[in-house]
Amino acid sequence: MPKRNGTQKLDALLGSITADLIGGEQQPIAEHGLRVENLLMEMVRPDPVQPRRVLPETLHHSFHDNRLTPTQSLRELVQRVQVAARQRGRPFTNVLELLPDADTEQGDAEAKLSPEEQLLRDLVHLAVTIRDDGQVNPLTVVDASQGVTRLYRIETGERRYWATWLLRDFIPNYTGNGTIPCIVIPAQRSSVFRQAKENTARSGLTAIAMARQAALLLLTVHGYEIPAYAVNNDFYRQALELDLRGHREHTDAILSAMGGIDKRRFHQYKMLLKLSDDALELADRHAIDEKKLRYVVPLDSDLHTEFVQQIVDLNLTSRQVEEICAAGIDTAEAHTDDTVSLPAAALKLARLTLTSQKSTPQDIARALMQQEGDAKIARVRLQGMQKLLADAEEVLTSSIGLPG
Amino acid sequence: MTRILTLTNHKGGVGKSTSATNIALGLTRVLRKMGAPNNRVLLVDTDSQGHATLVTTGRNDFGTEDSLYRVLMADRQQAPQVMADTIVQSHWDADLHVLPASPLLEGAERELMRVAGAPYRLAEPLSRIADHYAAVIIDTRPSFSLLTEMGLIAATDAIVPVEPRYLETVGLMSVIEKIADIRDGWRVPNLRISGVVVTKVDTRVRGHRYLLDQLKQHDILGRLFCGVIPANEAVSYAHSEHQSIFTYDPQASAGVAYLKLVGTLLHRVFKAGV
Repeated sequence: MPKRNGTQKLDALLGSITADLIGGEQQPIAEHGLRVENLLMEMVRPDPVQPRRVLPETLHHSFHDNRLTPTQSLRELVQRVQVAARQRGRPFTNVLELLPDADTEQGDAEAKLSPEEQLLRDLVHLAVTIRDDGQVNPLTVVDASQGVTRLYRIETGERRYWATWLLRDFIPNYTGNGTIPCIVIPAQRSSVFRQAKENTARSGLTAIAMARQAALLLLTVHGYEIPAYAVNNDFYRQALELDLRGHREHTDAILSAMGGIDKRRFHQYKMLLKLSDDALELADRHAIDEKKLRYVVPLDSDLHTEFVQQIVDLNLTSRQVEEICAAGIDTAEAHTDDTVSLPAAALKLARLTLTSQKSTPQDIARALMQQEGDAKIARVRLQGMQKLLADAEEVLTSSIGLPG
Repeated sequence: MTRILTLTNHKGGVGKSTSATNIALGLTRVLRKMGAPNNRVLLVDTDSQGHATLVTTGRNDFGTEDSLYRVLMADRQQAPQVMADTIVQSHWDADLHVLPASPLLEGAERELMRVAGAPYRLAEPLSRIADHYAAVIIDTRPSFSLLTEMGLIAATDAIVPVEPRYLETVGLMSVIEKIADIRDGWRVPNLRISGVVVTKVDTRVRGHRYLLDQLKQHDILGRLFCGVIPANEAVSYAHSEHQSIFTYDPQASAGVAYLKLVGTLLHRVFKAGV
């Protein structure tokens, strides 16, 4: 016989086997009605056409095109934020360092976070809350299973989904079992209206997300098939050809799902889809108001991104944007008869002279610091601009014969 | 419903491929002898080493276009047809069909890690064509990889080959736990552990006899216990000849044991009277 010690070990080992582990007695899960289940995180996927985006645009598409796993997507996000934070003099190695420190909060508040930094900080904060207090609020998912393939599409709660992945793979002391609590809605009860209501009921939906939301509802009531894969902006732009006329039975439901807005406001949101792709992404990342963006829409699409960038960089008010854009349109119209076409950058610089009095030197210095992240580089940029303006003045002087 | 048996153990060299191939052929032959209306058996090789493929087809040069790799990478809608097109006849028996493995399966595993629903990529097409067969046997690789997960998600029954040693028994515990995790996590309520096969048993070794006794006496494992395969060099010789143990030496102790095991499985899993 083996030694007594070995016998005891084997007995202990065999004693740990229970009938539950063997299986075979379980009943299939009931498929009727709502139910709350702990689902394996790998079985849950965000909705690729959800208007409220959590990940930045490129990561959103890489993830939904199956080029990145959830963990890889978050790693990519963390790396991007690390680069941005380092450039702003706030390097970090552990994501927990992103959480505000009570002692230094005042100083941090002065240094504005980039959208990606803010996103990651919010996710880390949510993840830590889930770790410490548990996932109190289950996600709402639609049972998108096909055949034997089990898959659940998130209707609401994508931020909690990403926070849970962040918690599992990037934050110490995760004690979960790789599942996430979800309210499961049968596929036939899935509704874009409910999703829209959930989205608009909470703050934080950007103007661009509202535009996508408006498009999604319009496309749905007009019978367009909503795909189950990531779509580009042209998909949403199809809604520019559609309106609420002829769909009176849906009008109230749509406006209600959009947060109780009126038709005019609905139209204003929808028209934002005319912005160029880059401008849409920029405006979405920086959560720029519709009131500012509406003045950019009528401009030439080549100018959209530059104007949105100016709104971000200079933190322009909607009135300032209106004035600049009006000047831009006037200039563009004035130049339609002109045989000489000038570079867009020169036109933009000329337009800025109209509003230069509205910024203080301190504002410009701060904006330059925010753009460059380094005082020396900001100063070099400014010196370059000074030289350019001096040269331009010289050209003006010589061309019209003014005394120097 | 066609029973799908997956032979799994993350420990290598315990006789998964040998058991999978011989059980598959044994089922084909016994069902034929019983006069069953359908005695076709499909052997699915998910192990990139492709040993089960090599011994049953005589080939180990399957690639992206004619192996399981093609099925896993196929569009979801087309996967059942691709699977049907990829299956080949074994050279052991006309009614034993093989879905061959390829060394490229490791690459498929890396690519599929990013794909939603990847663990169902074998189960989904297999569920569409399984009715064509009396049974499906899946051989898995010696690890808890995505491909092993796929094999278990596709299965109705898990069979665990294990060697009669203490550390192998420790491994058996983690196999059982892993299967339970897959059943609960990936929502495969019908998956159950239907058998533990003790392989490479040498009854002259006191430790082997003791462990066998302990397994047989165990409340739960005793009920799962379904066969003892003796250590037998004839198995290796049969492999080198790309033959089944039944063809190579029908009187070999391992051959007799595999036949007995097939009978037990028919009775226990297939509820067939033999």
